[in-house]
Parts: sequence; C-alpha cells; structure tokens
Amino acid sequence: MLAHRLLIPALLAAATPAAALQRGNDHGSAVIIMGQEPATPIPTMLSGSANIAVSDLLFLRLARPGAGLSTTDERAFEPQLARSWSRRDSVTIVFELDPRARWHDGVAVTAKDVVFSFARMRDSTVDAQRALLLRYIASVAADGEQRVVIRFRRAYPEQFYDATYHVQPLPAHLVDTLPPGARFAASEFVKRPVGNGPYRWVRREPGRQLELAANPGFFLGAPKLDRLVFLTVRDPEAQINLLLDGSADIFEAVPPVSGPVRLLANPAVKLLTVPSLSVLYLLFNERASGDRTRPHPILGDVGVRRAIAMALDRLNLARSTYGRFALPAEAPVAQAHWTRGLVPRGAAYNPAAARALLAASGWVDRNGDGILEKDGQPLALRLSIPATSATRAIMAPQVQEQLRRIGIRVDIDRLDFPVFIERRTKGEFDLDLSVANMDPSPSGIVQSWSCAGRGGSNVGWFCNPGLDSLLERSIYSQGSGGRYWQAAYARLQGDVPAVFLASPAISIAVHGRFRNVSIRPESMYGDLWRWSVDPGRRISRDGTGATPR
Amino acid sequence: MIRWLLGRTLQAAATFALAVLLLFVLMRLAPGDPLSRLVGDRDVSAAEIEQLRRRFGIDQPLPDQLRAFLSGAARGDLGVSIEHYPDRVTSLLAARLPATALLGGVVLLLNFTAGIWLGVRQASRRGSRFDRWTGRLALAAYAMPGFWLGLVLVAFLSLRWRLFPAAQMTDPLLPLDADALTRALDLLRHLALPALTLSLTSIALTMRHQRAAMLSVFRLDFVTAARARGLTEHQVLWRHAWRNTLVPMLTLLGLWLPVLVTGSVFVESVFNWPGLGSLAAQAIASRDYPVLLGTAMLVSGAVVLAGLLADLGYVLVDPRVRPS
Repeated sequence: MLAHRLLIPALLAAATPAAALQRGNDHGSAVIIMGQEPATPIPTMLSGSANIAVSDLLFLRLARPGAGLSTTDERAFEPQLARSWSRRDSVTIVFELDPRARWHDGVAVTAKDVVFSFARMRDSTVDAQRALLLRYIASVAADGEQRVVIRFRRAYPEQFYDATYHVQPLPAHLVDTLPPGARFAASEFVKRPVGNGPYRWVRREPGRQLELAANPGFFLGAPKLDRLVFLTVRDPEAQINLLLDGSADIFEAVPPVSGPVRLLANPAVKLLTVPSLSVLYLLFNERASGDRTRPHPILGDVGVRRAIAMALDRLNLARSTYGRFALPAEAPVAQAHWTRGLVPRGAAYNPAAARALLAASGWVDRNGDGILEKDGQPLALRLSIPATSATRAIMAPQVQEQLRRIGIRVDIDRLDFPVFIERRTKGEFDLDLSVANMDPSPSGIVQSWSCAGRGGSNVGWFCNPGLDSLLERSIYSQGSGGRYWQAAYARLQGDVPAVFLASPAISIAVHGRFRNVSIRPESMYGDLWRWSVDPGRRISRDGTGATPR
Repeated sequence: MIRWLLGRTLQAAATFALAVLLLFVLMRLAPGDPLSRLVGDRDVSAAEIEQLRRRFGIDQPLPDQLRAFLSGAARGDLGVSIEHYPDRVTSLLAARLPATALLGGVVLLLNFTAGIWLGVRQASRRGSRFDRWTGRLALAAYAMPGFWLGLVLVAFLSLRWRLFPAAQMTDPLLPLDADALTRALDLLRHLALPALTLSLTSIALTMRHQRAAMLSVFRLDFVTAARARGLTEHQVLWRHAWRNTLVPMLTLLGLWLPVLVTGSVFVESVFNWPGLGSLAAQAIASRDYPVLLGTAMLVSGAVVLAGLLADLGYVLVDPRVRPS
C-alpha cells in the first residue's frame, strides 16, 4: 500500500510540464559540507543539527519566528503552512492553512495532517522530550479541511511558539497506518520522506551524501538552487580542503582561529557570521564528584564559585578562543536570543577581589607553594573537556592559568566525547567546559538550571527554588515577562552555578557566486530556497542539468 | 589433506568465535556513554535518556544483551546502529565494504606488483646506486605517517596543481544517469590520492621482504647452475630465483589481505573515503557498540580467513609442508 503511495510522487514528478523545469540563468546547485550525517531528517526522529537542517527544507512548520527570533510576539512570526491565524480567547489559537500547500506527492496539506502530527509528537513514548515541550497544549482539532484549532491548558506568552516551532506536520495519508517505533523507523517513508517544503527527497547514500531537488511547485516560490547535495565529512582537514579545491560551496563550522586564514587560499569563498543559539560555559558540580548525596567539598561554597567567576577574564578568553567570532556571555543566553538585552552585567574581572573572597572562605596559602589550602586540603579541581573540541582545547589551558594566578590548581582531563558525556551524566567531575545548543526560546534554560532538570540536563545538580519561581513567572506571566527574565538572570548570576564564558557566532563559508544569502540561527538553511546564483559567476556544477529524478 | 583442511577450518572458526565474545565483553567494559552523540550538547530530560536506552537495549543486563546479540547474529542480523539509527549494521557494512575493498585491492595490487619488481631489481643490483636510493626513499615514505603524507599530497597535487580532487570517492553531483566510462574515470580520479598515499607508505615493506628473500636465494646452488647453463639474467631472476621466494611473500600477502576489509582509519578520514576504516573510527569515537562489533567481527573474520588462506597457499606452493 505504502509502495503505491510512494510511487505516486514519482509519477507526478515525471509528468511535471517541461516548462516548470525551465531553468533561468540564476539557477544552480549547491554542495554543502556537514560534520554529522543527516540520516533521519524526519520531524518525529530529529536529533542533531544535521537532521534538523535538512528536515527544515523538507517539512514546513505552521509558522516560523521572525527575524528577531522573538518567541513571545506572535505578530512577528512568518506564515508558512498557515497563511493566517487568530485568537478565540487567551488559550485558543485558530490557524488557517494555506490552500496552496501540497505534499510532494501532490496531495493537499490539510488540518488532518496537523492534528495527526500533534497527536504523534505529544505522545511521550514517541519523543519524550518533545512531549514535555508540548505539555501545555490541551487539544488540537480540525475545523474543516483547512482550519486547525489549538487549545492550551493555560495562558502564557509562548503559546504561539509552542504551537508552531516544535511540530512539523507529517503527511497523515502516508504514515497514519504506521505505528510509531521500530516499524515507522524501518518504513519506506523514513527511507524516502515525502514533505511539503521547498525541496524534495532524491536519495541518500549512507555515510556519504544526501541529495535534495527543488520542488518546482513550492507554493511560496520555486527555489533557484535546483540541486542540494549534503556531504557528510567528519575530518576537519577534509572539510576545509573540499572548500579550497572548489568541490563544495558551503560549510557552517569553519574553525574560528585557523579557518579564516586557510580560506584565504580560495578567494571565491566568503566567510559570513551569524549570531548563534550556543553558549560556552564553565560548569560547577555542586555535588561531590561521583556522589550526589553530598555537597561538593569546594564548589558547594558559593564564595568559591564567585571567586572563580571574578578570576576569569571572559573578554580575553572569548577573543583568544574564537577571534572576532564570539561575544562574552553573562548568562545562559546566546547572541540570537531575544532576551539578550535583558541580561544584567555580571561580576567584572577582578582577580584581587577573587583572592579576597577565597580568603574570606578560609582558603589561604600556608605553605607558600602558590596553591591555597584549607584544613590541610589544597584548592585543587579537575576540569573535564572533550578531546574532540578544538575550541575547548584552546580555552582550557587559559582557564587553568587564570585560576592558578589566584591560587587554584586545575588539572585538565581531555576525554573521549562519550567518556566526557558519561562523566557529566554521572556527576563525576568538578568543572567542565560545556556548550549548550539551545532553541530560540529562553525558557529552554529551565531544563539545565532548575531543580526539576536534575537527572536530565542539569548535571551540575544546581537547585534554587527561588530561581525556579522566577523562571515560572518569566515563562507564564502575561506580556513578554521581561522584568522576570531580568530578575531570573540576576539570581542565576548571584548563585553562580556556572561561569558563562562566550556566545560564539556561526561562522559559515559560502561560495561568493550565491545571491540573496541568508542564514538563520535556528534553522541554518531555512532560507536556502531563496538563494540564487549570480549569472555572471556560474560555475560548471550550476549547469549539471535539470532536477534529477 | 581434507582432514587437515577441516581441522584448520574448525580451528579458525573457534578463534573467530572467541574473538567475537571477547570483543563484545571488552567493548561494554570500556568507559563512555553510547548515547553521547544523540544527547550531545542539547537539553535532554531524564525521561528521554531512559527512552533512548530502552530503544537500543542498553538498559538490559550484560548477559541479556549478549543473548540478544547472539540470537540476532545467528539470523544474520547484527542489530541497529546507535549513531546511524535506524540503519541496520549489516546494511552499513554492506554499503561501506565496496569502498574499502576497492581501495585495499588497488593498494594491494600496487604494493605487490611494484614492491616485488623493485625488490627483485634491488637484489639483482645489490649495492648499486639504484639499490641504495630506492631503499632510502622507500624507507623514508614508510616512516611517514599516512595521514601526514596524505595531507602533503593534497596540498600539492590537489590544492596547488589541481590534478586530483582533495577528497570524496565520487563527484557529488555526478548525474545518476552518467555512463560507465564517466563513472569509472571519476572514480579513478578520486582514488588516485588515497591509493598513492597508502601505497607509498607501505611499499617499503614488500620491497625489503622481496629483496631479502631474493638475496638468500641467490646464494643457493640452483641459481649458480642456472647461470652456468647460459640462461639470460631475466630467466634466472624470474623463472628460477623469484619462484623460490614465493613462500615468504605468501606470508606477507597473508598479513596484508585483511586490508581489503579493514581499510585505513587515518587515510580514509583525510580523504573522506567512505570505507569501513572510517566507519569503525566513528563507532569507536561514539561508542556505537553494534557498529563497532560488526566492523570488529568483519576484521577478525578477515584476519582468520587470511591466515587460513596463507596456510593453504603454503601447502599448494611448497610440497615440503604438505600434510601426509
């Protein structure tokens, strides 16, 4: 049955009038390098940035955040599958679907698809994380073919964001008979997804590449880049070499220090920067390493944590690690978060004050070896970093040196990534350099910094009910919750569960022949269908023929 | 003879089974969270972590995991990859094996044709300038790390002189309907640098073995007799002397044969060659137990099989070691 359903798109595509495939001289192709493999770009199976990037080209949302990435101002959202929306009351949003929206097999996108997809994604046995994010949605119902009514359990500013960001509708007519789980994962739909976005599936060669082709009938406008090939390239040298020899056009993870210099070898490639949703921070374990029943003998003292925060010169750390591609961070808020302007200034760099704080906590250098002691125990900590992270390998020795200057000995453990994650999860660390890749919503910090997040992302075991209460108010107060966010960030800075060091930018290398280039922090290639090729700078692969079948 | 062959095969099968068992246990004793790639740097709840552990069966006790693995393996199913979910391990191995076999096969061919020829020439001109310089150059290449030599070749032959592509196995935009000749030429262009890198770094071994074997044969009476009979030097070298060096060269070939399935981790990575070596390296880096076990089984199987074939080779070429 499903095979027949999947045969239809191929036949329909083959029957597309030749005129629809006429290529202008601003059409072309793009080869994109990815560090991870987009093996399952399916909305119910997303994990990893590569899958999300490809999924965003295949499957649209009802709407997406506007340029400022505000998650509370629903007027700023841009229509996608929904052409308009309205409110019945403070807990009900009505979406009108765009009647032009079609699945790649030609079937219309209907309210039934949206209702089915929400039902599946709110099922905690399918995706526990997403079900948690959608917990305040009480019901999703179809009102005719083109209208969807979403009711919430309570009024809060991010209702619209929750209703649109976390769910990309699936084609109910193709997958509603497939039970979630192993059968779905092994289905033809997962092998050859049928979406509704600007690009449609062509093929995937496991471990090598994934290819998409432009959807000439895309209702928001036919893409100008006819073929997209996503290459899986894990080796950092190979990634840059493929850009330099002209085999690839786009790479979104250019190393911030060495990358720009190496890219000078190919003047055709430009380096662009875009604010990211990432923050690098030095995490404190508030519980004894490996024993969460006891407080950490050193870091359980907030005075020591504050001293460490004041001893670190965040501006210089960010510059020496990321060059011009990062800003110092003051809270778990990235450059692209709309609440960035609400973050108060944290403790300034002041090693003298840091030493005084340690002295007040009883840490004194009695034996003159430069390391402070208390009750005969040296002030020594172990810092875990993943050996695979070049930026953290640059930053760690600098942190070590800056803390040595105030009498703290730090030993660095460079760990295999799985060992690094295992130690974090089990709480077997003192300090670690972590990166948080967040959603556009500032409310994501609840998972890492609230009492309820312990056992999940809150691996430092930090808990302050006062902060939880402030976060609750920030998220659920009427309006944007600005003053509560400000108070929550100030409380977080006061408790110092971590030192937020830098918010790096996305540094992306793009071939200079592309026009209308726009990169989105939350959906890297979400605007790729709007890119085109400068007719005067076309290269051989821009003429590789019409859309492949 | 058949009894010997049967016994040797059973011995190989037992070695393989023991290796698989050891691999299974040792992998799970190694530190590291197999969910690390899936969890990574994003926010996850405890419930999601539990869900993922259940999905891959790593929430079960070790004996239950072993039982599940063995019953699957008996049906030819090595399970589902954690990092490449929902791809099955067998399909991943099948997709990667041709690339590794192609690269390994070309390297083996270059290595043994050029290596043998150069080793024979060196031995026949012992002490000459050719012998000295070929030996020095080959040893210098042997001493270079493969990934470093690969990067140097890329820097010159690809980025500077634009002779070959810097990486990949094929042109990513090669049309699906390209003819066989276009495909073959494209493949050869991409194969050139990884094959050259691996051949340069390994050919010294074959040359040195061949040279030493020839020199030891040159001292024997039958070579002197052949020369005394008025045979040309070419005939003496290749028909008489070289044939008698086959046993040590077969040993070497037996050691090299597994390269057809093991691949080279570093060279495959530098050239983004989609082979089993890079797959195994990723599996190690992410603790993807099922894939790691699958690649390890393939490698240990190849080593055991190559040993068996080498033994069989001795029996065929040397009547002295033939079992009675």
